[in-house]
Amino acid sequence: MSKFSHIYIEERVAAYPVAQHVLSRFPGSIRIMIRHYKDVFNRPHQDFRRQKASPKLILAVKQEPFLYPGPEVCEDFGNQNFYYTSPVLNCIYDCHYCYLQGLYPSANLVIFVNIEEFFEAADRQLESGPLYLCPSYDTDLLALEGVVPYASRWIEFAGSRKELRIELRTKSANYGAIAHLKPVEQVILAWSLSPDKVAQRCERLAPTLKARLTAIRAALDDGWQVRLCFEPLLKVYDWQRIYGEFLDEVFSMIRAEKVFDANIGVFRMGKEQFKRISRMRTDTDVFAFPMVCREGGVVTYEDEKVMRDFFYQHLSRYLPREKIYG
Amino acid sequence: MIYIVTALPCEASPFIERYGLKRDDCRHFSLYRGQDMSLIVSGVGKMASAIATTYMLARNLKPGQAGGEEDLAIINIGVCGALHRRYLIGAPLLIHKVVDHETGKQYFPDILIEHPFEEGSVETHNHVIRRQDVLSGRVELQADLVDMEASGFFQAASRFLAPHQIYVIKVVGDYLDVADFDRQRIARCISRTLDAVDGFITQIEGLCTTEGDVLTSYERRQLEDVKQSLRLTVTQGHQLMDMARRYKLRTGRSLPDLSEFIQIEVRIKAEGKKAFERIRRLLLYE
Repeated sequence: MSKFSHIYIEERVAAYPVAQHVLSRFPGSIRIMIRHYKDVFNRPHQDFRRQKASPKLILAVKQEPFLYPGPEVCEDFGNQNFYYTSPVLNCIYDCHYCYLQGLYPSANLVIFVNIEEFFEAADRQLESGPLYLCPSYDTDLLALEGVVPYASRWIEFAGSRKELRIELRTKSANYGAIAHLKPVEQVILAWSLSPDKVAQRCERLAPTLKARLTAIRAALDDGWQVRLCFEPLLKVYDWQRIYGEFLDEVFSMIRAEKVFDANIGVFRMGKEQFKRISRMRTDTDVFAFPMVCREGGVVTYEDEKVMRDFFYQHLSRYLPREKIYG
Repeated sequence: MIYIVTALPCEASPFIERYGLKRDDCRHFSLYRGQDMSLIVSGVGKMASAIATTYMLARNLKPGQAGGEEDLAIINIGVCGALHRRYLIGAPLLIHKVVDHETGKQYFPDILIEHPFEEGSVETHNHVIRRQDVLSGRVELQADLVDMEASGFFQAASRFLAPHQIYVIKVVGDYLDVADFDRQRIARCISRTLDAVDGFITQIEGLCTTEGDVLTSYERRQLEDVKQSLRLTVTQGHQLMDMARRYKLRTGRSLPDLSEFIQIEVRIKAEGKKAFERIRRLLLYE
């Protein structure tokens, strides 16, 4: 079916300019009026995998809360007040290892159109002091910039809030969509990177490594602060050689001294999510390796430390240790 | 496997003829069966439709067998009324929203495949709705079409099936202005949609086909023998199947030979546990 063949629209979104903007992007889509996004998003027994082949859009108005404390499994990069926010639920990519498939009952994308209320919530939180905020965890805002321009909206918002620091996490090569903006000191563009073999096998619909590196190089040349996110590290056959060569490839295209910082994360996931997803995904070996459940109910590889230390040693040949997190 | 639920015999007869369905000896409903299709005539009304739908789906479940519903789809097909004459008589519509008039609740099938139909919404009422009821304002409609079964059907079906397995196709029969229904006219309305519905059924069958298990039937039998021989608990049994599937996904190879574990005679719990640990090492670390 064509992309976003159906758009479910909460009755109350009509007044929001963002809703009109999104609808104008898909004039051929069938529009279905609904009362509340959860009437569609939370239906029982939905098939996440089948929906991924034909995802729909849902336009909704978010209610409180708008900000959530940063999860323990995520790196805070030394920031005290670490929060995340989700102006969009779900991602257009289809990565085998993605936690979203165990978190949400549906693969449909929800766009909350009341973005100004998200900004107001961030301003309220800023009254307590500096804020580190991540609006692109449960989605990929840069990848969706052509559908809803939230990456640029967040950049513009952060530009006038000196005490705010935001990270825009992405796998997209769509840097061109924000290239017209002047770099903002409060903004970190964070690219998730995997070796090409891993990306081809496990990161369905995402751009190639080379395409992402090209986007990163352009962002760095324009003066943006860029973070490299080497996560999740996956246990693949001959992983030492693959990940070693991967770093050589990354830094053959990107000048290490220009990189803001980097983080390393071996594959890990909440126990319940892991159980749910591993039952669903019988088409991938991502969940097929010996795992242990560590403190806090987080499942990871038995030899997580070996993998992490190996990668850290190799990465520290390119980046100073104080720039490496995780 | 496709299940069809119709309210009236005249809605069912074109399908019975087209697919060569044979009458089942069910005492409670008019039930018809073919190779990959069953059809039930529920009677008029959302309660009747819900009961017939539940009966069809519950009969499919085998005691002690998990799942089994993944390859199913169920379709409610029947005539409906339309207020607006932009819908032509005889036009079939695939429903993307079902509204229950009495409760106000709304239900949404998952439409994940291409199809030849116009789409619309239907509102299910407990009573026959006349055109005059709507035009006078006595009854307020929230949907494009009006029927008496869809919401009962959908509620019942969604207890058993995923939303991509449940479909409602309504054929416009009148403009809420018919005093008595004409059986032959209804049957003709349905008949004219059969080619389109048939193509759509083929699409649905493709969508609902489940991927095969990564384990072969020989491997599953061998694992069952291991479970019996080692007297594994239910949990250990699930763990064994899980480890076996992971082994195959990880290595891309067939399972190693487990026949030594079938020949073991387990007398005490500790022996079974020891053997299970050996299997675990074999399947997880190779």
